Order: sequence, then C-alpha cells, then structure tokens
Amino acid sequence: MSSFLESIRGMKFFDMHVHMISRTTDDYQAMADAGIVAVLEPAFWLGQPRTGVDSFRDYYASLVGWERFRASQFGIRHYCTMGLNSKEANQEALAEQVMEILPLFIYKEGVVGIGEIGFDDQTPAEEKYYRAQLELAKEANLPVQVHTPHRDKKRGTTRSMDIAIEHGIDPGMVIIDHNNEETVREVLDRGFWAGFTIYPFTKMGNERMVEVVRQYGPDRIMINSAADWGISDPLAVPKTAALMKQNGISDEAIRLVTLENAVTAFAPSGQISLSDFDQPLTIDQSQRFNGSSVLRGGQAPRIDKDSTIIK
Amino acid sequence: MDMRPVSSLLFALLEQQPDAERALTWLRQQLDLYRNQPTNAVFYRVFTAMPRFTGKAPVVVSDEMATALAEARPGFVLVDWTMDRLARVWWLLQYPSADREVYQRGITELFRAAEMNELVALYSALPVLEYPEDWRFQATEGVRNNIADVQAAIMLHNPYPAEQLDEAAWNQLVMKAFFIGKDVTQIQGLWARNNPRLQAILHDFAAERRAAGREVPEHLPKLMSDTIE
Repeated sequence: MSSFLESIRGMKFFDMHVHMISRTTDDYQAMADAGIVAVLEPAFWLGQPRTGVDSFRDYYASLVGWERFRASQFGIRHYCTMGLNSKEANQEALAEQVMEILPLFIYKEGVVGIGEIGFDDQTPAEEKYYRAQLELAKEANLPVQVHTPHRDKKRGTTRSMDIAIEHGIDPGMVIIDHNNEETVREVLDRGFWAGFTIYPFTKMGNERMVEVVRQYGPDRIMINSAADWGISDPLAVPKTAALMKQNGISDEAIRLVTLENAVTAFAPSGQISLSDFDQPLTIDQSQRFNGSSVLRGGQAPRIDKDSTIIK
Repeated sequence: MDMRPVSSLLFALLEQQPDAERALTWLRQQLDLYRNQPTNAVFYRVFTAMPRFTGKAPVVVSDEMATALAEARPGFVLVDWTMDRLARVWWLLQYPSADREVYQRGITELFRAAEMNELVALYSALPVLEYPEDWRFQATEGVRNNIADVQAAIMLHNPYPAEQLDEAAWNQLVMKAFFIGKDVTQIQGLWARNNPRLQAILHDFAAERRAAGREVPEHLPKLMSDTIE
C-alpha cells in the first residue's frame, strides 16, 4: 500500500483528462484503489496517424462502448469528449470525412463535450477545423475541451480563446487545458475554466501545481493526468491531492480542483452531475460485472498482485 | 411477419408506464417530424437521444401485456427492460422496410456507430426486425461482443438465435454463454437445439475445466449428456 494513499483515504477524484484506451486493467484497479470514481477521456490521436475514416469511427465507438464498460468493471464512471484532434486536422481530405461522422457521436450517452480540439502546429487547417467544431459545440450546446499546444504555447492559448469568443461561445462553456504558470492568469481573467495536466517532463509537475492553487485559489481550476501511451501517471490526480494536503491546502479546495469544478464545467451537457457519484455504479442495470474477456466467467474481479501464484 | 401489432403493443406498453407523459409527448412529436422529413439523420438522432427523454426506469410488464406480445411475436419476452430500451425497439419498428437493401443498410449503420446501451436495444430488436435472415451475421457479431449486457441481449430471453443461427453459430453461442458464466437456462431453445457436435464441445470443455482444477458450470453436464431425439 503506497503511503500517499493513506492521507487521502475516503476522498473521491475525477480525472478529467485521461486516455484510458492506452492503459491496462492494472491501471484501472490502481485508480479505483486511489479513490478515482470517474474519468473523462477526450478523443485524441493514437500516436500512430489514422489513414481512414473507419478508424475514427471505431475509435469514437470504443469511447462510448468498450472503454465505458471496461471502466465500469472497476466501479469507475467513464465520460468522454468527442472531436477531431488538431494533429489529424492537418490531413484535410480525411478531416472532411471525420467531420461528417462526428454528429453521429456527440449525442451519445456519456459524451460531455466536444474535445480535445484546438491547436498543435497552429496551421490554417487546424484553425479551420477548430472553428468548425466550435460551431458544432454551439449548435449542440455542449462544453468544449481545448488542447493547448506544446510549442508557442502562450500565443496558441490566447488565440484559442480569441477564436472561441469570436464564435460567440461563453467562456464558461470552455475548458482550456494543459495550462502552466505562464498561461493561467489570462485564462482565469477572461472567465474560462483552467485545466492543469500533471505529466512528467513536458507539462506540470505537482509541486508547481500546489503553488498554483495556493496563488490563484481553487476557483475554476481543475487537475488531470492526461495519462496516455507516453511516460505518464494515471495516479497523478490522487498523488497531487496528497501533496496538496501535505502542504496545507484545505480539503474543500482539494475537492474543488480534483472533482467538483470539472463536474460543474461539463454539467451543461446534461450527461454528468455530482449526484451521479453518490449512487453505486452497480445499481445501473446496464453495467453489471459478469462476464467479459476482462473478467472471464466466474473469475474474481480482484487478483492478488503480490502473489507469485496465478490461478 | 407483420410487425405492426408488435409496434402498437410496444407503444401501449410505454403508455402504461408511470411518469411516461414527457417521453410520450416527445416520441409522438418525433414520429410526426420523421414522417414529414424521413431522413436517416432524423431517425438516428432520435434513436441516440432516446434516454435523454425517456429516462432509464425499469419497465413494468403486466401479465396481459406479456401474453399479447407473445401472441403477436412468439418468444418475444421483455425481461429487465428499461424505458430507453423499450422506446428504442419501438422506434426501430418505425423505420421504412419496403426496400430491403435500404432497410438493411440503414439499420446496419446504427450497429456500426452504437454505444453499449444502443447495442443492447438493437440486439433485443432482432426478433422484430424485417427480413429476419438478413441479421444472421449481425447476431454472431453480438455473440462475439465483449460487453456483458450486449452479450446478454443476444443470448438470453431472445428467440432470434434459436430460429436463425446455423448449427456452428448456435454452438458457439451456447459454449460462449457457459464460458462467460451466463445463466444458460435463460437461452431460448437451449434443449430443442442441442446437438451431438455441441455435446462433444461441452464434453471437452468439462474435461479442460477439471484438468485446471476449476468447477464445471451448472447445467453443463445435463446438456452434455441429454438424449437427443
């Protein structure tokens, strides 16, 4: 039992950005053990570029199908945002076809917004599909989860917000993700939600995160792991909660930035609310634990990871 | 088979549910809209948006209704259905079926983009879809699915597989039901479609389970050794 778990026992967390399609069942088990009750999986790229629209279709279907079910087996609620990511927006012929099938998916159960969309390289094609998807979000009255670029980040973040406002979208309906110390002030001042990704080496470290919460307070700030196929940590949210607690941040502030703010931000979709989390997942008819390739017939859902014996 | 009586009964069943007024108003509006504007875009949107308007309360089926449904479509039983599932199956019966190819393509598109609760409704609807023989392959895809409730929707309380699947596909369904721990007594036609090849497969499976020190599933020995007429 990792010691950080002790200090946050009983707390509930919502990792509002994590790519579970790239993670194992061991991760799901560890996340559930650490208090994660819900995850949000934004549609993104897979590391390997897709070459046909059917690859997108199957990916979107898995976000509302297999992945949701997989999460439910560990008692975790799975939500997603649907969209065409900025990298793949650059293949314009394919992007057109993807835009045609997106409306099939945005009204599915568990879809809480359009995302993650925005800029990567800040090309004209990226801008075109960012704008087109902002219009889609407006039409469907869905929140937008915006990916901000690694390179030329500050300008890219400002530009993403300018364009959203230009399309008449209320900043309260937009979650600007992957913030850092350089972007957060403008995002909050302009009335947007600010997501922070705790991701080693390239995004935020969690000691820095503690300082951000100390400086700006917990309003409109939310934390995620963005764990994916890279070197990342699906326990980043509970670990950061533990670190905040250790550094004297109040339980209420921790609760806001690791659970409640994200739920409030995505609630306008009508697909997520805090009261969902009060009900055990198993009472939902559609999410029984019996039988699947993950938990083959009759196998106990829990295995002892420390034992050398495998039955 | 004429499915109009089933459609009427399913709508009547929706009307019998408590607090269904909002859902019914919306469904009537959408049906009018779809009749004026019969496009796939409208049809798919209504199918997908269903739980937002119907909710997911469990459906209560009276004895009279169960009897009427079984008369209109033998073997068609609604066990543990929810409002969204019922409304979706009713909605599928509103899809125009005059052109066989258009019908098959239109419904298949729904399967291709379906989330898990939509798949449950779609597989539940197989016994009441037109051109029953056109859905045989789709039914085997349901058996191959990994999501517990989707598997249950095709395997359990569903008359379609026993009526339509060939022997190999049927045997796969039964064997998979044992393998994933389903209650096989809820499979329609379990005994009637028993066959020597299935019994041989079950026999090998039982031996494999014993060799692994695992239990042999309930009902397997009986099905394995039952005399086949």
